[in-house]
Amino acid sequence: MDLHELSLQQAQELLRSRKISSEELTRAYLDRVQRLDPQIKSYVTVSGELALEQAREADQRIRTGEGSTPLTGIPYSAKDSLSTRGINTTCSSKILANYKPFYDSTAIRKLKLTNSVLLGKNNMDEFGMGSSTENSGFFTTRNPWNFDYVPGGSSGGSAAAVAAGLAAFSLGEDTGGSVRMPAGFCGVTGLKTTYGRVSRYGLIPLVSSFDTIGPMARSAYDVSLVLEAIAGHDPKDSTSRIEPVQIYSETLKKSENLRGLRVGIPKEYFVEGLDSEVDASLRTAIKQIESLGAEAVEVSLPHTQYAIPVYYLILFAEASSNLAKYDGIRFGLSERDGDGLLDVYLKTRETGFGAETKRRIMLGTFALSAGYYDAYYLKAQKVRTLIRQDFQKAFETCDALITPVAPTTAFRIGEKITNPLDMYLSDVHVVAVNLAGIPALSVPCGLSNGLPIGMQIMGPHLSEETLLRIGHMYQSQTDWHMKHPSCWND
Amino acid sequence: MSKKTKIQIDEKLVKEIASLARLALSKDETELFVPQFNDILNYVSILNEVDTDNVPPAYLSSANQSVTREDLIEESVPTDEFLSNAPQAKDDYVVIPRVHIEQ
Repeated sequence: MDLHELSLQQAQELLRSRKISSEELTRAYLDRVQRLDPQIKSYVTVSGELALEQAREADQRIRTGEGSTPLTGIPYSAKDSLSTRGINTTCSSKILANYKPFYDSTAIRKLKLTNSVLLGKNNMDEFGMGSSTENSGFFTTRNPWNFDYVPGGSSGGSAAAVAAGLAAFSLGEDTGGSVRMPAGFCGVTGLKTTYGRVSRYGLIPLVSSFDTIGPMARSAYDVSLVLEAIAGHDPKDSTSRIEPVQIYSETLKKSENLRGLRVGIPKEYFVEGLDSEVDASLRTAIKQIESLGAEAVEVSLPHTQYAIPVYYLILFAEASSNLAKYDGIRFGLSERDGDGLLDVYLKTRETGFGAETKRRIMLGTFALSAGYYDAYYLKAQKVRTLIRQDFQKAFETCDALITPVAPTTAFRIGEKITNPLDMYLSDVHVVAVNLAGIPALSVPCGLSNGLPIGMQIMGPHLSEETLLRIGHMYQSQTDWHMKHPSCWND
Repeated sequence: MSKKTKIQIDEKLVKEIASLARLALSKDETELFVPQFNDILNYVSILNEVDTDNVPPAYLSSANQSVTREDLIEESVPTDEFLSNAPQAKDDYVVIPRVHIEQ
């Protein structure tokens, strides 16, 4: 077995018994990145020297036996919207191409405390705006299963890196499906956490009221180990949840079946437009979950069709104000060859932002402008209440809800990029979760024409334990998460 | 988005929005955005179907919780680190171009 094929648990056992060192493991990953990433393009920055330094520190910790953790010495990557001290953090935007934060985001800092090893930063749609990574200011990431297809977005680089064995796990970020959708398209397991479960401190914001950091890995069990390390209250993020973090992996180990759980199947997610093979895979997966002892019932989320317009209106508005800070004054790109201050603003933002970012800033500026605020932003926030109430009602009778992650498998590079509205509609199954602030897990559940199909398991606030348990039990009965693209063996 | 706020986006409005957003747009971008904005705003207008008369807006994403902490003095970031990303800095200040332009 090659080193990149090890699960987190297997790698940790070999590290602790000193059969391998973190330095060897890290070199194996860096080698693969060097060989395969020129084609896959999942990394924006590879911090190889620092990674080897961190690996040697991890080896030291393991040797001296000073309390290693399940992630000590494990090489991982992070979406390039998570601030990393001294390492470029670009959000895949030209406007931040040379930006080096002087502090770590809390999630990265917590992983540093475990002595896990950061290999580098993953490509994404610029500032998280997109569903394919085609909106990256630098390049498009390829789907490891078929290089002509998108990996999904916006955390497409993270998903591709995990799927191709270029990182043992990755930290993604989900504003409106950005962890789950690429996880589904690339056949990896990804968790969108409850809003506030993981601190957003140091996460470069897209939509402050939707943004969540979540693990992407090869199994629900691996995801649970990462979540334990990064979750928890943080005085630096006033929206972070104060409830204690559970030891999710212990629950998974003890779990034997899903008896007593009731899962809802929202009928609005199984309608026209859903690919027949995706539909069939989901039906089979639901049967398997029933065979583990869960009861499946049909439920209704009647406002589902309004989730996309609500999501995008709120996104436009919040993103346009969040991106106002990129003005060429304190950090980032600065175009100073014009005449005076206003020219700096105009030229910096013209050169630094890509088309989709400009489009969304413009739409947000418009939706928030005098005379339109009530009609767009306020209206959207009211319908958001109704969408949230749909979920509350469903969770009165169900422990979790199961849907496809997307209506189809990955689409071709170039297929949707010229029609922004068409691209927005690919998020139809994932955005409602962010409007409600609830967690959702994306789990591989099939293949269609050689491309992965994803199942989404949603639950009430702070139900990560239940979602991971369902995912883990499903993965104990199926092997979709163990299937890999051909580049896995390269 | 009641009937009276239904709006047709044209080039003039796109230019006005760009100016508010401090974005310089090329002629091509301006022309491209006009039909795209109309499509998108037309699509989101389906929210008009929903009766929200007695529905409060949902600004917060999780349970309302007020968090307080002790007002302790902490070390802050050293000024030189803080300024390390500034395009131009001098004597602990960020340098900006002239604000007023003589016409």
